[in-house]
Amino acid sequence: MLARPASTPRATAPGVTLADPDHELAERFRDGDRAAFDLLVRRHQKGMWRLVRRYVKRDADAADVTQLAFVRAFRGLAAFRGTATVRSWLYRIAINCSLSWLRDHRREQPAELAEDALTEVNPAPAQLSADDDRAWLRRAIEQLPPKQKLVLELRVFDDLSFKEVAELAECSENTAKVNFHYAVKRLRDILGVDHER
Amino acid sequence: MSGDPGDATNPEQDAELLTAYVDGVAELTPDERHRVSARLAVDPQAQADQAAVRTLIDRLRALPAEGAEPDWMAMERSIRQAVGGQVPRPWWRRWKWLAPATTLATAVTVLLVMWARPALIIAPEVPSGVDRGSHDPRPAEDAEVIVALWLDGAEVDVDLSASDVLAAVTPGDDDPAQPGDELDAEPGLLPSTDLAWIDKLDDAAIDRAERWLARKKG
Repeated sequence: MLARPASTPRATAPGVTLADPDHELAERFRDGDRAAFDLLVRRHQKGMWRLVRRYVKRDADAADVTQLAFVRAFRGLAAFRGTATVRSWLYRIAINCSLSWLRDHRREQPAELAEDALTEVNPAPAQLSADDDRAWLRRAIEQLPPKQKLVLELRVFDDLSFKEVAELAECSENTAKVNFHYAVKRLRDILGVDHER
Repeated sequence: MSGDPGDATNPEQDAELLTAYVDGVAELTPDERHRVSARLAVDPQAQADQAAVRTLIDRLRALPAEGAEPDWMAMERSIRQAVGGQVPRPWWRRWKWLAPATTLATAVTVLLVMWARPALIIAPEVPSGVDRGSHDPRPAEDAEVIVALWLDGAEVDVDLSASDVLAAVTPGDDDPAQPGDELDAEPGLLPSTDLAWIDKLDDAAIDRAERWLARKKG
């Protein structure tokens, strides 16, 4: 399950690039190359959908919102100034579309997790199946304050650099690192030290 | 997170650095990396924290994505259909040829004008008030210099080339019966192009000049 030995620090940061790999595609698109946008879609649709899916709880709705985000990106890419990476710009559109969709469909969302789901006594590790373990982790993430949750998810699930996370969370890079630290710390507290396996 | 060596004793900042170190050592400054490495080398608690953070982050990363992934090819097709084939371009991109074209056209126009009518470019400066409408290249001293003066509530056109006669007005010559005769007789005593001499006239001379002008008007 582990991607690398536990004692090895992550050597290459996610999303860290010397130059934006999508910059050339954005330029080609601005010069009228329609196919460049198709390449951007192919490159980012999975990440966009995963991001949207964390907000929008139904698969079909998430696909619709992802498509809407790409349509908005298509209309706005010509005016994209390149102050952020294309990926973080796309993800910002996806977040905005998701939040907008949530506002419009508040009553149609599946019921939220019970508030007291984590106030139960922590089950012993031996009692947890793999599915339970995942569900337990997800519930723990849901308990994080919004900013810490956003930073943690962007960092861990979307593999963004701290710089990109900071752009999306609208904070400084250092603040993003601090939020990430407190998110991890709080998760450890919620899950319990002896729950870590 | 500042990496300031002066913060080295702050345990909370050390913990923040440790978390960032575990999940992206490349995103720390060399100072921060050195600081965490040095601490890990001597602090068993830091080593335990590092392992715990690493384990937790790996568990989080191992979580499968929520929901069932859609058909990516179908999504691509639907996006392509939704956006259409026309690439939207900002207005200034459509007109970006305008700036160099305008510059070139202006330069060509200026060159053509200079080539076709060099006299206009190098024409000698003539006194203000001279009618240049005809582009008459006559020397300035041959041109009529007429200016409008406001005297006693009425506008009077004065020919400055003839105003040399005013310079001939001498103190004591106060005879209104001889208007202008003696003035015309001795032109050029004062320059007509430099009107500063008017300020030097005494009251008597001004009175005589006004009388002369009144007669001219009459």
